[in-house]
Amino acid sequence: METFNNPKPVLHLLLLPCLLLYSSIAFSSSVEAAMHTNNWAVLVCTSRFWFNYRHMANTLSLYRTVKRLGIPDERIILMLADDMACNTRNKYPAQVFNNENHRLNLYGDNVEVDYRGYEVTVENFLRVLTGRHETAVPRSKRLLSDEGSHILLYMTGHGGDEFLKFQDSEELQSHDLADAVKQMKEKHRFKELLIMVDTCQAATLFNQLQSPGVLAIGSSMKGENSYSHHLDSDVGVSVVDRFTYYTLAFFERLNIYDNASLSSLFSSYNPSWLMSTAYYRKGVYKRSLEEVPVTTFFGSVMETIHTDAAYKALSRRNSGKFEAQTSLDQSVHHSERRTPVKVNDRDETHNINPEGQEGASKCPWSTFCNKFLKAENVDSLVNYGLVAMVPFLMISMWLVR
Amino acid sequence: MAEISEAHDSDSSKIQDSGSEAPQRSESEPDFDPKTMRKTKPGLKRLFLTFSVFFSFLLGFPFLWKSVEIYRSPLPFREIDSLSTQLRSDNLLFPLHFHALFVGFDSVPDGLRQSILSEIAKLASQNPKCSNNYTLSVTVDLDSRCLRSPNSSPYSSTYQCGSITATDFVQNDDVAVDERLASVFGGKTKEYSVAVVKGGSESERAVVGKHRHAWLVVGDGSEVEVAAVKVAELLVKVFVNGGREEGSIRNEFMPVGADGKIVLSFNLLNADPRDWVYDWDFEKIDDTLLAPMIEALGPVANISVESQVLYHTPKASFSYWNQKLESYVFSTKDLPFFVNSNEWHLDTSIAAGGRSKILQFALFISLFAARYVPSAKECPLLLQLPNGEISKTNGFISPMWGGVVVWNPQGCLKDSEFKPSTKNIIPIQDLENMFEVFIGQFRQLFGFKSVNVYAGASGDWNLLPSERGFTEWELDVLSRQHTCFNLHSCATTLGSLSRLVQSLPRMIIMDEIGKQVKFSLEAAKLALSNASSGVYESSAASSSKASSLAEDAFFHPSIMSVSYYSFEHCFAVYSPFFLPVSMHVMLAAVRELRRYKQEKAKYLAWKAKAKAAS
Repeated sequence: METFNNPKPVLHLLLLPCLLLYSSIAFSSSVEAAMHTNNWAVLVCTSRFWFNYRHMANTLSLYRTVKRLGIPDERIILMLADDMACNTRNKYPAQVFNNENHRLNLYGDNVEVDYRGYEVTVENFLRVLTGRHETAVPRSKRLLSDEGSHILLYMTGHGGDEFLKFQDSEELQSHDLADAVKQMKEKHRFKELLIMVDTCQAATLFNQLQSPGVLAIGSSMKGENSYSHHLDSDVGVSVVDRFTYYTLAFFERLNIYDNASLSSLFSSYNPSWLMSTAYYRKGVYKRSLEEVPVTTFFGSVMETIHTDAAYKALSRRNSGKFEAQTSLDQSVHHSERRTPVKVNDRDETHNINPEGQEGASKCPWSTFCNKFLKAENVDSLVNYGLVAMVPFLMISMWLVR
Repeated sequence: MAEISEAHDSDSSKIQDSGSEAPQRSESEPDFDPKTMRKTKPGLKRLFLTFSVFFSFLLGFPFLWKSVEIYRSPLPFREIDSLSTQLRSDNLLFPLHFHALFVGFDSVPDGLRQSILSEIAKLASQNPKCSNNYTLSVTVDLDSRCLRSPNSSPYSSTYQCGSITATDFVQNDDVAVDERLASVFGGKTKEYSVAVVKGGSESERAVVGKHRHAWLVVGDGSEVEVAAVKVAELLVKVFVNGGREEGSIRNEFMPVGADGKIVLSFNLLNADPRDWVYDWDFEKIDDTLLAPMIEALGPVANISVESQVLYHTPKASFSYWNQKLESYVFSTKDLPFFVNSNEWHLDTSIAAGGRSKILQFALFISLFAARYVPSAKECPLLLQLPNGEISKTNGFISPMWGGVVVWNPQGCLKDSEFKPSTKNIIPIQDLENMFEVFIGQFRQLFGFKSVNVYAGASGDWNLLPSERGFTEWELDVLSRQHTCFNLHSCATTLGSLSRLVQSLPRMIIMDEIGKQVKFSLEAAKLALSNASSGVYESSAASSSKASSLAEDAFFHPSIMSVSYYSFEHCFAVYSPFFLPVSMHVMLAAVRELRRYKQEKAKYLAWKAKAKAAS
């Protein structure tokens, strides 16, 4: 009964969180307004050696699928750690199959590999994701996505509890991947991200993901292995993994105009066929999976807007003489602009060396004094300090004698 | 030496241990107990030696510490924070000066000013990021007298009374009227002027000029209030918002790269060279149409142009034959699938590749303008809109990607005339028409419409086009919005960078990053000061510089979390060297110190005894 006497503070208390919630929703909805502009795919095969043929076949099969569904080469980053097609143990040179019926040659036409062989490292992979390349890296090797891009990230190889093995010598850890995704989100490098991992204990790789708009599916859970589908006795190795095989089977039924949803893809994985549990993690992904068509990640849907009118600037030109006059002026400007690109004054920031090294003066002592007084270069100071210890020790040794 | 004295000591202790011999000593001094006393002062050499080694280690330790220190260039974290709070708290305010001139009306300027201001307040949308600060001055010019409101303010216009009369507007030549008004209104102050003129018997005519003024010619019997409402709508919707509904443009209509550069890549696509091959005279068009536009957009973005001609580029979608129109028709539903990215190798730009070398992270967008010449089997090819009409431009854009225009050559209709497999040049008139569509598409990519009529709630305004592709007031709109966007992106990028740097305390931060951050902050401050004083072009240029420097700093290739080494690594590398040695050194020093103290005590005891005895 006492609470009824003070309804006002209670009402205020109730109103306050409601207001906060409303304002937070309003704020977040005003921030998330980017339109879906393009699709990207980053396909990574991390294993080398002939017996890991199936990993390369996995990646190439997915490459073929996304190309068929419309993502162009300029928006696909394909990283293959080894070359199976031209491997000396390959009985069918320049051909890679993902099925023992050899119906499909995955390496047949129009395959553009961006990172090959020893270029596939953890560092390069993280550089692709975060965008921190050296200046000399060409555009075809960069992930040039923007805040309207949907990215498909597919990784296959050997993995384990919270890691993925690269090239048999280094590992990508789950916290590295989560950190890279967090930085991508902060710089608005994607609108939505789908991560597909086909390795052993794949689901542990995205344990630490917390960014919004990220969807992840792995072929097996912690403690489970992912198995290959079948062995091709002609080629001599297993040619495809189970998870990828059933993914491809799903996509072979699709064409460019379909709109099957992501939930149908995820529910098509049968644990008894896969011999592992395909686990997907929604995290902070806002949309419901029934509404999301597969082509948001696997296909390429261009947003198009019709052009209503031309800009009639030229029809305003009055006299021919006037026109000739202006075109003459502009041709002068034009020839000026055709000179080679002038050196960017930003290059000056590259010259960081603070000390101007004057020519070695005749007196070594003065140079020593100079350098000591400047004391800008810490390394040289440390060197001098260590050198100064030597006479110290010599003196003490002499005294003990 | 040490061994000899030690041997001597042990010898003497051995001698004493035997007990019987050497009575001289015990006889000469009373109660000499070699175990607790000694005659000579203990030597300092051993102590000195061990302590010198110990102290040399201690002296060397700071040098070692400094040598393994991670070099981190000091970043101005406080200034970065203050920039973001400054942008968040007090919104970026652009000052805008309006001037309304009423010719031939008998009204009080103060009342008009109030009504226009209230209309503006009703129409102005509140943009959370950047808002505008309006000042309005009204002049009423009626033959003999000329009233201004407000009377004395720093922003009152420099308009001379009587410079504009109704006779200026009699002729129907909008361009000449525009130039006349430019000579009157154009001055040093950048203000937006509207002239409402009563006179002339014909109906209303409302035109927005190429510079920063507009005029409205009304009939004799019209109300001044109605005109005031129309003026207010023009000021807010056209001059401030650029003809768009919402105040700020969305991110997908800002196709400027992170380094402030745009590459325009024009491609002529011949679908099937076996049918016919077309070429174009690109340089001429570049000189006449594109160069002035590129120059006009200089403050907003640094634009470069390249072109190429491609062959064997079929499209990916299908079209069907329409008997009524006697042409092949594709609809807007096919547009997303029109661009056949597998066959159209558009992204082979040389300029962009070279730029990728110079820039750190070329987030710039190449705008592709692809003209598609259909193969003979699918010619003429027309685009049908959802409402059944045929498109006038035959073109479409995709935001942040570019635009496509479909051209049907004349040889489509008369098959007997064209000669296959010879190079035909696209006629210059058609080419100019195509490029007008391209300019329209380019404007569309920036969010501007190219229809030359603005249909407002209270009436229509004709918009005069400019030879430079963008009128001056449109350039102002672009400058303001790009300044706003760039400054906010600069602040968020620098904020992300400072958070990242502070979360990885053992990451090397090179000098270059520190310099880029410093220059970026300076450019941002300059942009802010320019924006608040109303100089839009230089503020847009500074803001794009600030944003690009911030992006360079954030995307510097040395900030990679895998390549910094942790404290555990450092410890693991250095401890096998120093731990065993330092242990021995310290133990030796401690032992020598203890021994010295013991010997000293012995000596002091002997001295005391000797003194007591004597």
